[in-house]
Amino acid sequence: MYSTAHPRDYPACSGCSLCRLVCPMWRHRRDPRFSPEGIAKARQNGAGVTELADVLDACTLCGACDPVCPEDIALSDMIMDLRGELELPPDLAVLQVGYAQAAAQAAPAPAGALLLAGAALRADPTLLTQVEALLGLRSAGDDGADLAVALEIGGDIDPQRKRRFLNAIDGRSLVVGDGLLLRELRRWLPGARLQGLGEALGSLPAIRRRIASTDFYVIEARAFHADHARLVAHYDGLRKDRGCAMNLDLQRIAMPARASAYPALRMGPAREDLEQARWLLQGRRPARIVIEDAAERDVLRRVADVPVLHLAELAALNEVTVYA
Amino acid sequence: MAPDALQGIVRQQTNPARWNGKAWSAFVADLQALGVEVAESAATRGIFATDAGGTAYGLPHGVVIAQSATQVSALLKAAQAHCVPVTVRGGGLTTEGESVAYGGVLLDMTGMSRVLAIDPVTMTVRTEAGIYWHGLAEELRRENLDYLSAPLNMTSSVGGTLGVGGIDVNSARLGCSADQAISLQVVTPTGEIVECSDNENAELFQRVILGYGQFGVITEVTLRIRPYTPLRMHYYYYSSLRTAIEDLQLLDRNDASDYSGILTIMDCAVNLLVAFDSDEREAAFKANWQQRLRGYGEFGFALCMAGHYALRPWRIGEALYLFRRKQAVFPEFRRPEFHRDGRMDDRTVVFSRAVWKHWGSRNMVIPDLATSADKFIEAVERGNKVCRKFFRHYTLYCVGIRLRPEHKPHYEMSCVPPDAEGWAYGCEFEPMIEGEVYSRDHFQSFKNAIYDIGVDLGASYYRFGGMMKGYIRRVFGDALVDRHLAMKRQADPAMILNRDVIF
Ligand SMILES: Cc1cc2nc3c(=O)[nH]c(=O)nc-3n(C[C@H](O)[C@H](O)[C@H](O)COP(=O)(O)OP(=O)(O)OC[C@H]3O[C@@H](n4cnc5c(N)ncnc54)[C@H](O)[C@@H]3O)c2cc1C
Ligand code: SF4
Ligand code: SF4
Repeated sequence: MYSTAHPRDYPACSGCSLCRLVCPMWRHRRDPRFSPEGIAKARQNGAGVTELADVLDACTLCGACDPVCPEDIALSDMIMDLRGELELPPDLAVLQVGYAQAAAQAAPAPAGALLLAGAALRADPTLLTQVEALLGLRSAGDDGADLAVALEIGGDIDPQRKRRFLNAIDGRSLVVGDGLLLRELRRWLPGARLQGLGEALGSLPAIRRRIASTDFYVIEARAFHADHARLVAHYDGLRKDRGCAMNLDLQRIAMPARASAYPALRMGPAREDLEQARWLLQGRRPARIVIEDAAERDVLRRVADVPVLHLAELAALNEVTVYA
Repeated sequence: MAPDALQGIVRQQTNPARWNGKAWSAFVADLQALGVEVAESAATRGIFATDAGGTAYGLPHGVVIAQSATQVSALLKAAQAHCVPVTVRGGGLTTEGESVAYGGVLLDMTGMSRVLAIDPVTMTVRTEAGIYWHGLAEELRRENLDYLSAPLNMTSSVGGTLGVGGIDVNSARLGCSADQAISLQVVTPTGEIVECSDNENAELFQRVILGYGQFGVITEVTLRIRPYTPLRMHYYYYSSLRTAIEDLQLLDRNDASDYSGILTIMDCAVNLLVAFDSDEREAAFKANWQQRLRGYGEFGFALCMAGHYALRPWRIGEALYLFRRKQAVFPEFRRPEFHRDGRMDDRTVVFSRAVWKHWGSRNMVIPDLATSADKFIEAVERGNKVCRKFFRHYTLYCVGIRLRPEHKPHYEMSCVPPDAEGWAYGCEFEPMIEGEVYSRDHFQSFKNAIYDIGVDLGASYYRFGGMMKGYIRRVFGDALVDRHLAMKRQADPAMILNRDVIF
């Protein structure tokens, strides 16, 4: 179990359906079973994990349902806990083992503040170098990628492995690329200075001033929802400052660009990802799309014919070009 | 006999009897042969075990998630053939069990929730009827457009709302949501797919609008829309409910604001909200009407209250409650992320979030009264007295509804009171549950006591179906109800559609 004890659990669900409005798996299927409400209500009616397997497996863990639930039910935690009782998807179990082996062989973390890049950013070494240079940070060889997979698939986390990871990073300032890991680190290291990649890069003046009013800015959903009350103000400030459109709905919830399960682990976009990305862009005519999460680049490129740039890539652009 | 507790009214305190399941298997087999999925697991059925009211409970035998008019038609034809009841559900925000199935099929309309076409030239939208108003707003807003009026609740569906009314804080100006519908695609209880409007199959249109789903399932809707404008909100505070209502009606009669409504915290702390779509309308209000309102601004009212309680120290508990409530609720209405340049981006998001967070629970006990303008103050004051008898704390929500004379046939036997001309007024009485445990009987007695006032005054109710069925003949009279019943029998020979809701 990874989640902390919850004061509120599924019995508190009133059936208000507010969580459906923000849930990508509901949006894609329009089937109440495929929603946090559906899971909570099914649990209230005695459904076990096996009955819910398809639904649990379809959740993107975007975390959008957490801040909107008026009953404060920790919905994505509930889903992660339940996923832990399902059989592991074999391809992802293999991935987890691979990441764990790499972590075991990684060099000790360099001194000072650290970047925990995460799998998606690591998959693009040029981008990773740019991010490191911009933030003035070095990457930890062990960035907890195996733990992030375990969180996502509900796999077991070896307490020793977790301790080793946390001992190596405790007491440092951390910028974390994986939204799910970031969320968990906030619980594991309550006093730590932690930032998501998007927030860290977007706070740099060299990047911030290159965000244009004609941009469509795609916030990484997991990191955002994990600290929603604070970050909603951060992004509201960015939106007011730069005038760009964002992937925020009317409730100020970030619509993820992808709607398939395990989006960062299964890199190639699925059909529902394309549909979700099209919905994100519906009615918008941006000159560029700016992303925080490298894993969302591919799907957005497929549905839009404008440049899709990672936040870090803005720094290399000539400011004049940006505002031209 | 107290006027707010009429004797002799049959209390309908229980769920209707559960349908006995006869021919269920043959019915399901027929549907499966047609490719219609009927979900029968307890987990799926359990999603629909109750409605927002949380006092009526019932499980369907199976759930069908709406996919298309053709599928709904196949379902209704089979249901007629096998006499299987079908209960239609949109957002399930009824409070008297109207959208709860006591056996039979629960037809979940939210499966049909896609916007089909937005036409900025004719300013209309065609949408599937199961869409939540909030979902519709999300799509319209991408085009800088908006719907006209809708419940201040993000998860009410368009189809469900057209069946019951739909009151917004701009209804005193624009009417109820049901009046915004230009045309509908309806699947009749016998399975015909029919387009209807004021000009085409007008009689069906009249019966389906505000018809509690008795005369057909609404599958598609064409609605009027308008350009989107954020709104500028003003709040005025009163210590007298009567004065606040008089001022509300003054504003409505004179078209002095774009939005108006009353929300109370306590009887002595009443909030009149007034809002505008444009600077011009706001300026005209300030020039012509603001000084005639007898409410205070927030600061003035706080001083007033401080003085009031300073002279009555024994009522410190009340003062503290007021203060705590203000601290909890006011910030919710002012969250910066939902405002830009002093204007509110989306009233429904702000109000709906606040309602669910600070009023909502698993029991939304919100009986209401709908009256003509001149009976309204009496109705509210009597209702308030009932609230005091049953609960420590409660709030009221009052709003006007502009009536359209040409829609009079739509209003027959609906939430619109028969004697209302020009405007109807609605008041919702909402106890604060505050973690207390009340019995279902307590809630029901409270609701009955409110509804009794409606009978006594010759009013109507926003929610008059389901467990309130017992009131229908009393408020509308046998002749009218029998006429509608005859129409229902003709349209729905096996009486399968939303049975036990009205008839
Ligand atoms: C917290 C809360 C706040 C509310 N605020 C407001 C408000 O501000 N203004 C307001 O007007 N109301 C308000 N309501 C009441 C509620 O919004 C209305 O009852 C609502 O509009 C009904 O929509 P629904 O989709 O939930 O319908 P449901 O509750 O699902 O159904 C209502 C009725 O219509 C039938 N029905 C549903 N869909 C269809 C269809 N497609 N075709 C035919 N029949 C159908 C059902 O069988 C049922 O009889 C509130 C309710 C709650 C619980
Ligand atoms: S938002 Fe929370 S209370 Fe409402 S339906 Fe979803 S899980 Fe239940
Ligand atoms: S985490 Fe995202 S996909 Fe999963 S239930 Fe919540 S909103 Fe839906």
